[in-house]
Amino acid sequence: VMDIYLRLKRLSWMVDNKRMRTATNFQWLLSTVVLLYLMNRVNSQRKGTPHDLKCTTNNLQVWDCSWKAPPGAGRGTLYELCIDSRSYPCYPLVRTNIEIPALPPGNHEVTISPQHGAGGFTSKFILSEKNVSLIPAAPEILSLSADFSTSTIHVKWNDHGSVFPRHSNVIWEIKILRKKSMELVKLVTHNTTLNGKDAVRHWSWVSDMPLECAIHYVGIRCYVDSLLFSGHKEWSEWSPVKNISWTPDSQNKVFPQDKVILVGSDITFCCVSQEKVLSAQIGSTYCPLIHLDGENVAIKIHNISVSDSSGTNVVFMIEDNVCGTVVFAGYPPDTPQNLNCETHDLKEILCVWNPGRPTGLVGPRNTSYTLFESFSGKSVRFRRADVPTNESYQLFFKMLPSQEIYNFTLVARNPLGGSESTILVNITEKVYPHTPTSFRVKDINSTAVILSWHLPGNFAKINLLCQIEISKINSVQELRNVTVKGVENSSYLVAVGKLNPYTVYTFRIRCSTETFWKWSKWSNKKQHLTTEAIPSKGPDTWREWSSDGKNLIIYWKPLSVSEANGKILSYNVSCSSDEKTQSLSEILDPQHKAEIQLDKNDYIISVVAKNSVGSSPPSKIASMEIPNDHLKTEQAVGMGRGILLTWHYDPNMTCDYVIKWCNSSQSQPCLMDWRKVPSNSTEALVESDQFQPGIRYNFFLYGCKNQGYQLLRSIIGYTEELAPVVAPDFSVEDTSADSILVKWEDIPVEELRGFLRGYLFYFEKGERDTSKMRDLESGRSDIKVKNITDISQKTLRIADLQGKTSYHLVLRAYTDGGMGPEKSMYVVTKENSVGLIIAILIPVAVAVIVGVVTSILCYRKREWIKETFYPDIPNPENCKALQFQKSVCEGSSGLKTLEMNPCTPNNVEVLETRSTLCKIEDTEIISPVAECPEESSDAEPENHVVVSYCPPIIEEEIPNPAGEDAGGASQVVYIDVQSMYQPQTKPEDELERDPGGGAGYKPQMHLPISAAVEDLAAEDDLDKTAGYRPQANVNTWNLVSPDSPRSMDSNSEIVSFGSPCSINSRQFLIPPKDEDSPKSNGGGWSFTNFFQNKPND
Amino acid sequence: AEHREGQCPDLQDDSALTWIYKIAEPISQAYSLALYMQKNTSTLLQTYLQYQGSPFSDPGFSAPELQLSSLPPAAVSFKIWHALDDGERLSQAKGAFLALTQHLQLVGDDQSDLNPGSPILLAQLGAARLRAQGLLGNMAAIMTVLGLPLPPEEDTLGLVPFGASAFERKCRGYVVTREYGHWTDRAKPSLNSLLPGPSC
Repeated sequence: VMDIYLRLKRLSWMVDNKRMRTATNFQWLLSTVVLLYLMNRVNSQRKGTPHDLKCTTNNLQVWDCSWKAPPGAGRGTLYELCIDSRSYPCYPLVRTNIEIPALPPGNHEVTISPQHGAGGFTSKFILSEKNVSLIPAAPEILSLSADFSTSTIHVKWNDHGSVFPRHSNVIWEIKILRKKSMELVKLVTHNTTLNGKDAVRHWSWVSDMPLECAIHYVGIRCYVDSLLFSGHKEWSEWSPVKNISWTPDSQNKVFPQDKVILVGSDITFCCVSQEKVLSAQIGSTYCPLIHLDGENVAIKIHNISVSDSSGTNVVFMIEDNVCGTVVFAGYPPDTPQNLNCETHDLKEILCVWNPGRPTGLVGPRNTSYTLFESFSGKSVRFRRADVPTNESYQLFFKMLPSQEIYNFTLVARNPLGGSESTILVNITEKVYPHTPTSFRVKDINSTAVILSWHLPGNFAKINLLCQIEISKINSVQELRNVTVKGVENSSYLVAVGKLNPYTVYTFRIRCSTETFWKWSKWSNKKQHLTTEAIPSKGPDTWREWSSDGKNLIIYWKPLSVSEANGKILSYNVSCSSDEKTQSLSEILDPQHKAEIQLDKNDYIISVVAKNSVGSSPPSKIASMEIPNDHLKTEQAVGMGRGILLTWHYDPNMTCDYVIKWCNSSQSQPCLMDWRKVPSNSTEALVESDQFQPGIRYNFFLYGCKNQGYQLLRSIIGYTEELAPVVAPDFSVEDTSADSILVKWEDIPVEELRGFLRGYLFYFEKGERDTSKMRDLESGRSDIKVKNITDISQKTLRIADLQGKTSYHLVLRAYTDGGMGPEKSMYVVTKENSVGLIIAILIPVAVAVIVGVVTSILCYRKREWIKETFYPDIPNPENCKALQFQKSVCEGSSGLKTLEMNPCTPNNVEVLETRSTLCKIEDTEIISPVAECPEESSDAEPENHVVVSYCPPIIEEEIPNPAGEDAGGASQVVYIDVQSMYQPQTKPEDELERDPGGGAGYKPQMHLPISAAVEDLAAEDDLDKTAGYRPQANVNTWNLVSPDSPRSMDSNSEIVSFGSPCSINSRQFLIPPKDEDSPKSNGGGWSFTNFFQNKPND
Repeated sequence: AEHREGQCPDLQDDSALTWIYKIAEPISQAYSLALYMQKNTSTLLQTYLQYQGSPFSDPGFSAPELQLSSLPPAAVSFKIWHALDDGERLSQAKGAFLALTQHLQLVGDDQSDLNPGSPILLAQLGAARLRAQGLLGNMAAIMTVLGLPLPPEEDTLGLVPFGASAFERKCRGYVVTREYGHWTDRAKPSLNSLLPGPSC
């Protein structure tokens, strides 16, 4: 035993050490197990002794120890148990267990020895608190209740706190079992601290499954973690389970009913049914059934979405019935947004807010709002009926007397939760007055009115700031701010001054408070006409003496609206001198002049305008006119709208300057208008809507001096000059053989339309019908121009003219505004008789002398002449017509000529071929064209006929024209009409290669287009001059395309050719009809000109 | 009525004519009203269902098994209904429309909780109730003229309206609007048969 003890000791020390190191329950438990095991081992070695001493406690006060009796020990064996044999009394026992008071900490030796010679050995155990297990008594559920509507289970039990030391921690473990099969659905722990007294503990649990649908069981156990106890601690036994069940009151029911849940949460619905449930659906979605006890079923919904206003339906289909429920998924109320409080009248506070995100819940589940004021503790509730829609919400809060600062809290609440917003307002700074009503205007005087209006509200303690809008026609609006003392719910008056008399004003008003928050809406507009006042000044006055100088005509201008201050009814005019006073009164308004017969005394004329209120101050003007000897008329031209007059400063002019003007065509005295200028100015821009361009006006500048006016300057002018509207009327005074004298009249001022700056005279040779003097400005050299700038000049002699010639004369006037129209005239100069006589006499004399000399010579040489020209027998050698064959193509210039033989009765034109001059285009096979050099025709004298011929045949026949004799060269080739059309096959190419200057014969298809114009010009001549005309209708040859320009060319060409059959024998047997053809000059006739289309003919 | 009257040349007695005038007017009024109601009953039912969410709003929804104990169903077979005399038919129809009038009021209240933002539905329910009330009045007048005993007006609803769940309210409304149609269909020919004409 000693041995064991020692070992035990060592072990326990080791255990102590370990505990110190780790201090974990687990290791402590382990060591205890080891200890017990060892003790067992020891004891078992000694069978027949009590062994396996175990001690437990459930209250830390009493230890309940038990051991196992030795096998041989029968019932009724007596034992004696002694603890620390000397300190405690021994307990005689008949059982194998004993309750002993808790031992103090430390090891205690427990000796169990059988008594009365029962045999066996004494067992010794080492017992300490560490070896004792703390197993609390199983708790008992005092009550188990359920709130079915919330699916909540409430558990109550006694914690037996009096048993354990204060501040012991207790862990409660509660299990929830569901269905009759007792499936564990929840195991939770719940920590409490004991307070030394017995206490009833509560615990609640919300079931995901409605409690109505399945039976729920609850059990509980505990674990006491007492710090004072160092022994082993264990969980208590489970309490007996208690259950919650629901007895259906009707046939079928679905749970939960009408539940409001947060969007996105999970929920289980179940159906209590006696019959088989076939299917279940939420909305239109079918759900899998979860079978519960009996026929009850459930469905689980995850992440539910927001419901319609009438909720989401959950329907269970039963055999021949249906049952269901509605769930409302939504959101808790959003924080009220933009909460704002203001007052219209300082009687009620209007708070407005925006509900924010919709909750998705309506009807009884809708958000309720309560506006709570913390200083007064008062609140108002928002009534659902007031809800407009989803816009701003508003609540009226009755203001409390003498409270200005309000701390509002708006609480929003619905079944899913609540939220709130707060606002602190000083309500006197948040006044948004109502629209002013009963707005009226009353006159005070002509420049001031009183405005009155009504503004509901209790503004007695504050000042109102009101804004008056004053607008008048054709003027910018004026805003005036006025501050008025607030009164209790009454009318307000304010005077508005600085108005114009007799003016229509439109007033309106709006109000705010001095601590500005918002303007009220504008009141209605009120139109008001201010009363009349006396005219502020007298009318602008002028006077003129009548033309006979007996009457003075007094003119005045109507007063402007701002000066008249009312409707002008009449004018009074009075003339006063030192001796007498004349007056004219009650001249009614539209009349603005008056005539008074006056002598030549000095009078002061005064004019007064009157309206219904009174008379204006008089405007005075002196009648006297101071003469001015140094007056001359000046000219001036304005700048479009007006005319600028300047003058030198004159200190003598004491009152003012007057500029009056009139249309110069009006008779004197004329007056269109006048203008007064202050005496210190030296210039005035006279503008008037009456001014028109091109009209001459007279301007008179008067200076006012010693109560009399002196005409200082007289100006004629135009605001804008224009060109004259008529031409000067001119006539020819005299004509001679070489000169014309022209005379013209002035243009009237009205038609001149500007200051005359001069005349332009144009003349040229020309007759009435052919004259081309169309554009005189273009500076044609044959038009002579004379610019006459001396406007006083009224005549012009044009010299160096030709006699008996028609001249075209044009005259026009001009101003700075432009040229006037022209007037033209045709004049024929007279014949120069001396020159004519000389021109006749000299040729006559020459002709007589030549005739005489010729006669003498003929007479003397008459025998030779006879022999030569008229022999009896003509010598063929002398016939020049037959000599041409020898000379053809021999010379350079004269060889091309065709000598007309005078002895043959018919003209024969022979076409000569000069190979050296006529180049044949090698490339032209089908239609060769010969080009004759220009000089060949240019060098010809006019009386030679140029014959240029290029054979149209094959190039082989041409190559050596120089080698052939002259006779061989002059072939006559005949081509029939058909062959002439051959070249048509390549018309376009040849057009390209054949510029207009192509010479010689060209087939009709090959005339270049560029030559068409010239051809057309020559066509007339051709028609006249073509000698021979073919008998056939030429038009019928024109087969190609009669309407094309080319065919026109060919047409003319065919005509010029004569015969279509022979192009070589182009003999014009009929002489040209028209001897007067300008270039034929004696019958000479050039083909070349036609073919080359030379422009200089 | 005048037209039908023209078909009865035998009736020349003044008192008989007066009677016919008296009876014809409420009958023809009731008939016209029933005719007009009939045109709107299916619209009312469709509108009602449309606002109740699926499965009520699903096309072709029908739940004939749903009945209301407080509302007599128009379920008497044709044969039995035909065998009833005019007075009994009238009496039954009057009882039904009395119940319908009260139930339509109830449904209107239910829907202003469930669908407060649906003025169309609420207006239709209100209109249906007024028409049912009108027809009820006409029937009472006919019965008075015919000398039939007027059944006592009774509260058909009792405590039903309180404590019903939303689902029950929806179902209740469905049954009421459905039966409103059925009873209107049934009332119209019954009223027609009352009109004097072919019978005389």
